[in-house]
Amino acid sequence: MQQSKPSRTREKLTHLKDVSLRHIAAGERVVERGFQNARLMATLAAALMLAGFMLVAQWRGNAVLAKSPERQTDQNLAIIIQELTSENTALRSEIMRLQTRIIEAERETSDRSQLLNEAAKELQALRAIAGFELVKGPGIHVTLVDDERVLLPQDFVALVNELRAGGAEAVSVNGMRVDALTGFSGGDGTIRVDGTVLAREFKVVAIGNPDNLEQSLTLPGGLKSTLSTFPGVTVVVERRDELTVAAAPEPVFEAGRPVEEN
Amino acid sequence: MMVLVLALALGVTLGLLTDLQIPPNLLTYVGVAVLAAFDSCFGGIKASLERTFDDKVFAFGFITNTLLAAFIVFIGDRIGVRELYLAAVVAFGIRLFDNLASVRRIVFQRRGWE
Repeated sequence: MQQSKPSRTREKLTHLKDVSLRHIAAGERVVERGFQNARLMATLAAALMLAGFMLVAQWRGNAVLAKSPERQTDQNLAIIIQELTSENTALRSEIMRLQTRIIEAERETSDRSQLLNEAAKELQALRAIAGFELVKGPGIHVTLVDDERVLLPQDFVALVNELRAGGAEAVSVNGMRVDALTGFSGGDGTIRVDGTVLAREFKVVAIGNPDNLEQSLTLPGGLKSTLSTFPGVTVVVERRDELTVAAAPEPVFEAGRPVEEN
Repeated sequence: MMVLVLALALGVTLGLLTDLQIPPNLLTYVGVAVLAAFDSCFGGIKASLERTFDDKVFAFGFITNTLLAAFIVFIGDRIGVRELYLAAVVAFGIRLFDNLASVRRIVFQRRGWE
């Protein structure tokens, strides 16, 4: 018993060693196969991925081509051509229609602008006549010297009247425009225009046809000869080619107000 | 198996994301090449199920099959037999169905469904 015991123990140990070695070898094989399987799977997966990618790209390209005219059947092409032709005709007529409208609109605007131009010209003329615009042109320049202070406001009213009768388009006295609202007043040897006292040497400017204006004053028995008979009064009438008459101040209505009547 | 399905899905997603379009004059080439690629893939799956799969053989087969397919179309174009691509389509189509059938049979046998 004592002798057999160690030999049996050794046998058992050898057996255990064999078993464990076999297990290790089996384990190693399993691991190796696992590695190999993983590699195979990875290759297959990569190939499938590539195939999928190509499939999608091909799908896309084909979808684009399917819509292009090269892939259509003759019947479809005929229908497409017909549709395009009718669309073309419709668009052509639309172009024609729009062009006519452009021409009409152009004519309308030119008409309107012409009308506006005429209205502006008319307004300018009316403003000039009313005295609200600076007026330049040929006319006469009348200088009145009154040393004895005998002239009365009526004499100026008469003078302006004579000038207007002679075709004066714009008149000013000492630089002040004579318009529809201008009034002469005064007394005791002073003359006032709209309340402003005039300097002693009177300068009257009238724009119009110089010949007619001069004639209206210098006719025998006219205003010039009448005024010249007053003591100390001298009247000098000169024709000028270029005279300027200032504009009157814009009117201000205090009591009345303009009413438009149609 | 799940890994393979995921890989295919990933490839499709990548294709959708990159917005790549095959130009019209290359469509026939790539079309046949795609068919060849799928045929190779199913062949590989079949081989791996039969435990005869070798990754080097597979990779080489995948690339040569794809290029050869495109080349056949090219040759057909050049020599005036445009319909030659049909030969490639038929050949790869039949192989595709063969491989698919084999895979199905093996899977069914393994699971004991037969």
